[in-house]
Amino acid sequence: MWIRKNFTQPAPGTGDVASRFLSRRTIIGMVAAAILLPATPALAVQLHGAPEGLYVHMLAHVLYFAALLFLLLTIKKRPPGHSAAWRNFRLALVFFLLWNTDTFVVHWLYSCLPDTAFAGHSLSDYRLTGPLTPVRWIYYLGRFDHLLCVPAMFFLVLSLRRFCREAESRPPTTPGPGS
Amino acid sequence: MTASLPLWPVYIDDFFGALLMIALALAAFIYARRLSRLDPENALWVYIFWFCTALVILAVSRGVGHILRFLLVLSGHNAAWEFLSPYSGGLNTLAFTAVAVLTFYYHSMQRVIARVQADARSLNRAHDALTELNQTLEQRVEERTMELRLSEQKFRHLFEGSKDMIFFCDSQAGITDINDAGVQLLGFKNTAEVIGRSLKSFFVDQEQCDRYFRILNDQGHVKEFEIEFSRRDNSRLYLMITTSAIHDDSGTIQSCEAIAKDLTRFKEVTDQLIQSENMASVGQLAAGVAHEINTPLGIILGYTQLLEEDFAGQPEVFDTLRTVEKQTKICKRIVADLLKFSRNTAEWVKKATDINTCLNEVLSIVEHSLNMDHIYVQRSLASGLPRVLVDRERLRQVLVNIINNAHHAIGVEGIIGIWTSYDPKFQEVEIVIGDTGCGIPAKTIGRIFDPFFTTKGVGKGTGLGLSVSFGIIKDHNGSLEAFSPPRQQQFLEAGMHTTFHIRLPTRPEGDHNA
Repeated sequence: MWIRKNFTQPAPGTGDVASRFLSRRTIIGMVAAAILLPATPALAVQLHGAPEGLYVHMLAHVLYFAALLFLLLTIKKRPPGHSAAWRNFRLALVFFLLWNTDTFVVHWLYSCLPDTAFAGHSLSDYRLTGPLTPVRWIYYLGRFDHLLCVPAMFFLVLSLRRFCREAESRPPTTPGPGS
Repeated sequence: MTASLPLWPVYIDDFFGALLMIALALAAFIYARRLSRLDPENALWVYIFWFCTALVILAVSRGVGHILRFLLVLSGHNAAWEFLSPYSGGLNTLAFTAVAVLTFYYHSMQRVIARVQADARSLNRAHDALTELNQTLEQRVEERTMELRLSEQKFRHLFEGSKDMIFFCDSQAGITDINDAGVQLLGFKNTAEVIGRSLKSFFVDQEQCDRYFRILNDQGHVKEFEIEFSRRDNSRLYLMITTSAIHDDSGTIQSCEAIAKDLTRFKEVTDQLIQSENMASVGQLAAGVAHEINTPLGIILGYTQLLEEDFAGQPEVFDTLRTVEKQTKICKRIVADLLKFSRNTAEWVKKATDINTCLNEVLSIVEHSLNMDHIYVQRSLASGLPRVLVDRERLRQVLVNIINNAHHAIGVEGIIGIWTSYDPKFQEVEIVIGDTGCGIPAKTIGRIFDPFFTTKGVGKGTGLGLSVSFGIIKDHNGSLEAFSPPRQQQFLEAGMHTTFHIRLPTRPEGDHNA
């Protein structure tokens, strides 16, 4: 009311030009600029610390796990085929899921273990120090992740090789499973 | 000192595992590439190709990372490994993400593909149906045409072969089509003469016409409506008509279709039956009255004749008594006719009679008086007629009566035609007596057999002649009918204006199985 009374109507003796210049919109803009533009450090540029890489990598593991699980359930729900190739493909997905779980757990345990858990001066000397708690045993065994990912890749190769044979032996006019 | 676990087994596993992973990933990539080349349009193979490509990146980045780590650390270049290590991890992250994105994208793509495939199947089905339709179109058209032709033939046969009149009218009651039976019933020669005529023009009674069309408009149909039509020759045609109106979408009558049954013969028979019943009643009444009057008339006549003898010398009285006697005799004759009509006055003497002989006997009596008035008789008597069991006197009475009526109708100068024939189907002998006289008006022809109905002047006829004749023929199990104008073409061509038809059965009385 005070603004309307003193600024939106020209004061006696003042001209129209002055009243338009000091409009209500102009005053609100000036107040907003004073609030939003204080003399503090800029917040627009985000800094990325060292843990972010690990978090991104672990999130990628989660995404990878979710995608493979989704694919496995989709294939189980609506099987595109029942041949040995598809069985091998499902086995490959299962091993990839296990390997992914294993690596996620190992990454997480590694971040939890103190620096004193590792000791040694050379590759042949590096070791996981005691006390050998269940967590450290799990971490140690989990480091043998190739025991999971190699079979996964092996079954994938078997599956693809069978797919190739089936595709090559199929008449040209017969559509494949994804057609 | 606490126990610890050496990490070198882990490193060995990493080293050789990495080598195997690279080798297997490359093998998978080669197979995937072969699959995608075998069927480049297969979405699954395309997905697997890119899936394996991402796995190769994953395996190489991890494997090379593990191998380089050993090589660099063993050679003392730890700093170099620390520099390269994030790149290895970053590539792994990218490979994981790529696999996830590809998998989710493939699933979405599959739904699109399923939709496209469903559309394609639908199109294929439509294509197959169209192809089949195209291939069998000619055959189907031929079959449908044959069905239509058969159907058309069936209804055309029904339309043309029906003995009832079937016709179609437009919205203005103009006849658009009619079958042959209808044409004949209306007295026309062909369909073209009837088409275009208004149905209303055939109605005799305007009120009946208005009622018929009012019912048709109100109810959309007319069921078993009795109407009287006028034929082309102005004779009457009694029909029972059933009509259905055909409406358009707005409910307006577009046309109508009708079937009409000829009731003319039925109506005539019904009228005759009613007439017979009437005459039977009148006959009983007349018999009673005649019996009661006959006795006093006899007494009056007797006393009158006695008085005539007593007053023979007084001419004025005698003339008066003669007048009384004459009028009493007229009354006696009327009473005698009434008694004949009642058929109770005498015994019937039925004998096998040759109709032609009987006719010639009658003509020999009346022909002279006919010729006096220049009326000549044309005979057309069939030979070999079977004998008929009749009371000859009474049959002669009938023939004389009809011939006298013909004489009266002609007046002077004319022809009386007489035909006889035998109908083996009904085992009947027919006598037709026609004349070229003035004819009988339509309004009176239905009453000519009624007792006391006469067109003659006062004192010239009693109105009992045809009634008595009708009764006599009826007692012979025959029929007596009058037509004016005649129905049959041969009588019309002979110039007859009225014909009387007497039909007498030749089979023994009571034998209805012959």
